[in-house]
Amino acid sequence: MRRAGIWLGGGLLLLVTLAAILAPWIAPHDPYAQDLTRRLAVPFWMEGSRPEHLLGTDQLGRDYLSRLIYGARVSLIIGAMVVVVSGAIGITLGVLGGFFGGRVDDVVLFLITCRLSIPVVLVALAVVGLLGSSTTLVVTVLGLLLWDRFAVVARATTMQVRNLDYVAAAWAAGSSTPRILVSEVLPNIMTHLAVVGTLEMALAILLEAALSFLGLGVPPPLPSWGLMIAEGRDFMFFSAWVIWIPGVALFTLVLAINLLGDGLRDLFGAAPS
Amino acid sequence: MIPPDGRSAERRGELKRPGSSTPAIEIRGLQKHFRVKQGLFGTAKQVRAVDGVTLSIPAGATLGIVGESGCGKSTLARLILGLLPPSAGEVLVEGQNLLRLDRRARARLIQPVFQDPFSSLNPRRRIGDIVAMPLVAQGTAGAKTRARVAEMLEQVGISPDMAGRTPAQLSGGQRQRVAIARALVLGPRILLCDEPTSALDVSVQSQILNLLGDLRRGLNLTTLFISHNLAVVEHIADTVAVMYLGRIVEEAPARALFANPRHPYTRALLASVLTPEPGLGVPDVGLGDVLPDPANIPPGCRFHPRCPVAIARCSVETPPLVDGAECHLLA
Repeated sequence: MRRAGIWLGGGLLLLVTLAAILAPWIAPHDPYAQDLTRRLAVPFWMEGSRPEHLLGTDQLGRDYLSRLIYGARVSLIIGAMVVVVSGAIGITLGVLGGFFGGRVDDVVLFLITCRLSIPVVLVALAVVGLLGSSTTLVVTVLGLLLWDRFAVVARATTMQVRNLDYVAAAWAAGSSTPRILVSEVLPNIMTHLAVVGTLEMALAILLEAALSFLGLGVPPPLPSWGLMIAEGRDFMFFSAWVIWIPGVALFTLVLAINLLGDGLRDLFGAAPS
Repeated sequence: MIPPDGRSAERRGELKRPGSSTPAIEIRGLQKHFRVKQGLFGTAKQVRAVDGVTLSIPAGATLGIVGESGCGKSTLARLILGLLPPSAGEVLVEGQNLLRLDRRARARLIQPVFQDPFSSLNPRRRIGDIVAMPLVAQGTAGAKTRARVAEMLEQVGISPDMAGRTPAQLSGGQRQRVAIARALVLGPRILLCDEPTSALDVSVQSQILNLLGDLRRGLNLTTLFISHNLAVVEHIADTVAVMYLGRIVEEAPARALFANPRHPYTRALLASVLTPEPGLGVPDVGLGDVLPDPANIPPGCRFHPRCPVAIARCSVETPPLVDGAECHLLA
C-alpha cells in the first residue's frame, strides 16, 4: 500500500514535471495568444468542441490546455523555490539548535514559537497586498513563513543523531564542527527532511494558488492555476469547466505530492510531526 | 574464549621495556560532577559520576577498567577523550595535558573504539570514507589517502575491495574491524576501547580481542580497555582497575587481582560471574538489592551499604588506600 502511494504520487508528479519542462514543445498553442472570436470554446467531451482546443478556451479565447501546461511551471517553480528558501532557514536553525543545545537551542525554540504565532495567510496577504504582486515576492514571503516544520524536524532528528557514536568518533578524530554537521549529521537527517520538503511544497503550491486567486499572487497574464480559477469565476455558472479544469489539476498535483510524502515517511519508518 | 597465546608479552614477564617506567598516560584526580534538576521546582542535585580517578598506564601496556553499569566507566572514557569537560583533574599524555590540547592534536595521541559498531559507523558513508575520515579531519588527506586506507583495512582483516560498501552491508564483527581501522589510521599512541566486544556475538568477540591484541603488540599501543565482562578483561589486560560509584576501589596486576581479590567489591564481582553449571542460576553474591546511586553517595566508604563485611568505621571514615585497594579491612 505504501509503495502504491509512492508510485502513484511519484508518477503523477513526474508527469506534471515533464509537462512543465517540455511546455514549449508539447503545448499546442501560445498560452498568451488571444482570439476573441473563439472565447469560451467548450472542451472535447462536450458537444460543439473544436479539435484544435482540446480543453476549450478561456474568456479571452486563449487555449486552455496550453495555459494549463504552462501553469504547471508556475506552480512547480514556486513550490520548489519556497521549499529551498524555507528549507535553508529551517534546517539551519533546527540543526544548530539540536546540535548545540543550551542557549542556542533556547533561541531557536523561541524563534519557532514566534513563527508559529504569525498567521501565515494573513501576513502573506498583507505583505503582497502592500508591496504589489510578483513571483519573487510570493516566493520570499512564503519561504520566510513556512520554515517552522523544517526547523522542528531538523532539530528533533539532529538531537537523536548528535548522541550517536559516529558523531563522537568524528569529534574525537578532530573534525571541525561545520564538517561534523555537514558530513555526519545532515546526511542522516536528510530522509526526514525530504518528507517535510514534499509536504511543504504541496502547502506552498496551495498557498500560491490561494494568493493568485485573490489577485495577490503571480501577476496576470502569467498562467497560474489559481489565477485561472479567479479569472473563470465570472463564467462558472455557464462554463463550469473554466473553474474545475485548473481546480482538478491543482488537486491532482497536491494530492500526488502528499501521497509521495506520506509514502516516503512510511518507508523511512519515522513520523515527523 | 581465552586462547593460550592471547596473553601479552608483559604478562608473561618476558618483555620489560626500559621505558615502561614512564607512563604513557597519566590520569590525575579526574572528576565529573553533573547538576541534575528534579522536576520543575526541584532542587538541583549533584551527580558525582566520576569522583577522583587517578590511574597511570606504562607505555605499551593494557589497563582494564571493570565495574557494573552506572559506575562511571563510560563517563570516564568520555572525559579522557575530551567529549566531556571534566569538573577537576587532568589527563597527561607524554607530559602534555590532553584536555588543554587542540582537538586535532589530541586526536593524534588518543583514539576511541566504541561499543556498538552499529551506531559508531555513519550509515550514509562508505567504508573507505569512514576510515579516511580522521585523515580528512586532520587536513592530511591527499593522494596517499586511498593507499593508507587500503593498508589499514588489510591490517584489521578487511579486504580493501570492500571500501566501496556501506556499513549496512557488513556484519557486526566486520563493522568493529572498520571502527578499529578508523581509530588506528592516524597512528595514535593510545587506544581507548569502551566495551568493544559487548555488542558482538560470542564467536566474534574472541576474534576482535585477538585482533586488538595483535595490533597493540605490533604497533606498541597503550590500551585502556573498559568492560563489564571480567573474562574479557582477564584475557587482555595487564593491570585491572575496579571502579565503583565513580572511584577506583582496587587496582592490581591482572593475575594478582583475579587470583587474590582484596577489596570486598572485587570479590563480589568475581563471584558474580556465571558458572557454566546448569541449575545454579544467577549466583547470590550477598550484595543485597540496594543499587548504587551516584546522586546519593553514601558517607565514609561508598561501598559500605552493600558490603557483606562492613564494620562500624566504614560508614564514617573514608577508607585508606592500601596497596592499590581502598578498604578499612586491609589497613
